[in-house]
Amino acid sequence: MYREHDLSYDFLGIHLENPFILSAAPPTDELDMAVDGLKAGWAGVVLKTTSVESNPVNLKYPMMSSFGTAAHKLWGLGNIDLISQYHIDEICERVTTLKHMFPTKMIAASIMGSNKEDWQSLVRQLKKAGVDLIECSFSCPQGSMGEAPGRMLAQSVEATEKVARWVKEAAGETPVLIKITPQVTDIVEIARALKRAGVDGVTASNSVPALIGVEVETLEPRPSLFGEGAYSGMTGMAIKPLTLRTIAEIARNVDITISGNGGAYSWSDAVELMAVGASNVQFCTLPMHYGFGTIRDLKSGLADYLDRKEYASPRDMIGKALKNIKGQEELVTPRSRSDIDLDKCIGCGNCFRACTDGAHRAILWDVEKRQPSVDDEKCPGCGQCMQVCPVNAIRMKEEVDGKVHYFEFKGTR
Amino acid sequence: MEEFEKTLSRQQAAIEAERCLYCYDAPCQAKCPAHVPVPEFIQSIRSGNLHGARVLLQNVHPLIETCGRICPEEAFCQSVCTRSKIDAPLRIRELHRFVTDSTDPSDQMELPEVTAGKVAIIGAGPAGLSCARELRVRGFSCDVFEARQVGGVPSQEVSTHRYPRGVGEREVDFLISSFVEHVRTERVTDVKSLVTDYGAVFVATGLSSESDLNVEGTQLVGVFRARELLRKMKSGAISGAGNRVGVIGGGNVAIEVASMLREEDATRDVMVIYRRGIKELKAFKKEIEEATVLGVTYQFLAIPDKIVGSHHVEGLQVTQAHLCEEDESGRCRSEALPGSNFIIPLDTVVVAIGQRVEEGVFPGLARSNSGLISVGEDLQTSMPGVFAGGDAVYGAQTVVEAVRDGKKAAEQIAAFVAGGD
Repeated sequence: MYREHDLSYDFLGIHLENPFILSAAPPTDELDMAVDGLKAGWAGVVLKTTSVESNPVNLKYPMMSSFGTAAHKLWGLGNIDLISQYHIDEICERVTTLKHMFPTKMIAASIMGSNKEDWQSLVRQLKKAGVDLIECSFSCPQGSMGEAPGRMLAQSVEATEKVARWVKEAAGETPVLIKITPQVTDIVEIARALKRAGVDGVTASNSVPALIGVEVETLEPRPSLFGEGAYSGMTGMAIKPLTLRTIAEIARNVDITISGNGGAYSWSDAVELMAVGASNVQFCTLPMHYGFGTIRDLKSGLADYLDRKEYASPRDMIGKALKNIKGQEELVTPRSRSDIDLDKCIGCGNCFRACTDGAHRAILWDVEKRQPSVDDEKCPGCGQCMQVCPVNAIRMKEEVDGKVHYFEFKGTR
Repeated sequence: MEEFEKTLSRQQAAIEAERCLYCYDAPCQAKCPAHVPVPEFIQSIRSGNLHGARVLLQNVHPLIETCGRICPEEAFCQSVCTRSKIDAPLRIRELHRFVTDSTDPSDQMELPEVTAGKVAIIGAGPAGLSCARELRVRGFSCDVFEARQVGGVPSQEVSTHRYPRGVGEREVDFLISSFVEHVRTERVTDVKSLVTDYGAVFVATGLSSESDLNVEGTQLVGVFRARELLRKMKSGAISGAGNRVGVIGGGNVAIEVASMLREEDATRDVMVIYRRGIKELKAFKKEIEEATVLGVTYQFLAIPDKIVGSHHVEGLQVTQAHLCEEDESGRCRSEALPGSNFIIPLDTVVVAIGQRVEEGVFPGLARSNSGLISVGEDLQTSMPGVFAGGDAVYGAQTVVEAVRDGKKAAEQIAAFVAGGD
């Protein structure tokens, strides 16, 4: 049968058989679920965030909500979940069990504490249990404890640096990732603080603080528990562009290892996250939507991509897109014009309307033929028409000294 | 008989609505004789604004419940849907029906005082009632003359699996109670005197007489006219047809009556006997499909020679035909193969070969060669102040085309009255 592409590489000294990790979330909150995920082919798990026994976890159900359209109802998923209800002792047992069952997989755990003693005791216990990596949640949107009550730890540069130091001090040789939030004024400052603290890397990032919706008939927020609701952490496809920006911004400015997390739904999403600087990619909403079996296409799609691009290892593509990301002011100024392929055009007129009401009034419309045409004098090549064209019949064309360049639509696969 | 088609669920409608491309200057809307603003009402489905969608439909179209069920979308909106160029056309009529089925027609229109005058409308079918509504909205008062039942063809002759009895009645009652001053049941023959009593007259009497088969044996017991039979069955009465029925014809009426005869009694054989081939059938595809589902069968390429029997129908003698050159409609003509005749054993023959404007009515109005009432661009007949539209002018057409005529006539009548002629 077909040759299987080797997707394995080292991440912070840990062997990964592929870049796809189950993140600290509901899919890793039961031992048998973690077992199933690893059996299905995921390279590792980060067990759902735990804490010390004195920290009560009072969950409110239904905790999940979402938004989307009728044909695509889960663009964004929201949760008002908290950390695991299982405390550190139980998690340590699981780490030992999983490590025994899956010696070649990455068995990581996520922790959250409220003071130095908590953090360091959690770390010590996990080390003793044989954990491969410790992830620290500085960014659970549903509340944080200790250093910055009411705020996420990772929203304070000082608190982030201080707590990260405590953790790394206790962890010693065991790699530590700090899971941060994208909702800060300057993500680079946070990443620099972590670098100073000496941790091994950053998980960028977490669910995004959000209000998923308000029922217009009743004015109840979503999710609604008898009419009342709270802000959610939003995940899923809707947040991928936010995650990409967060990862890229850290990678462009700080020399620190990044574990990508937030919004990846496919192998190509994962490639995007890695290309802007992530060393691996964590998933939660995808398996929560379509199950652990999604690993099959993640692996096969990535393998095919690596073959086509002649990358020997997933490592080789980490950060490969970064050199292409610039400030807007640094970009060249093309002289492009909308170029409509009338053989592909189906005559819907969306480009004409979008240009007329939302851009430069540069597209003309032949009522009889139902055909658009471009007024080159007026068209600066903004590209709005090609976003709305349902059949991708429009490109931006630049012609300089007889050399033609096309800017094509790249929004969907 | 239960309706064949179920109304779309909210989820189905929302998913279907997402397929709409919201074409600029949308072809579907232009193709609709009533100019239903298709992309706009679909946008309102998508946003969950079903009331807004209904208002859009209702404002341009008096018979939305009817058209949501029986409009042949294959001939209008869906035939030009841009989405077909990607995959398949939108199910526009079903979305329309989803709106009417999920909302209340309760909103009354705001009507002006009657100041513009009085108009007589002859015929309470789709054209007449549409005209009445549009005239009332323009400040006219309308009397409608209807010698038969109100509602016209859809409520009286369309089979129940497509158009249940209650739906049509509800919509027609609403139109009459809201927009018609009086319904008068006397039969009008003298239009000239009506024009003097009223400011203008709209003739929308449809095609009230059926063509007879010009062969031997039409006097036998068991020979029926198709539309008479449809009216009888739609009224709830027993058709009186037997167990082996032959329906002669290939148009919508033939398919409709054949379907309804199977609906009435699923154990009887109903065969449509048509002189041309399957491709030449003039009925709408969807209706042919439904007839097939109901178990209607076909004998193609059979030209009726005579109905055989002594007192009662015993069979139909036909001659086998073959297809030859195309006629002006692009369909192949058929030509008899001499000496190839055979007898189809039948106990009932239903004739569905065409319909006409009744001879002798409205003697003052000019007619075309085919007997239809002649009108100008403005729908005015040869008699000043008398306008006409619907099937009586254009031959058998659809409800939505009758609606178009009714609306146009109202506009022209208003202009005529305002002109003071």
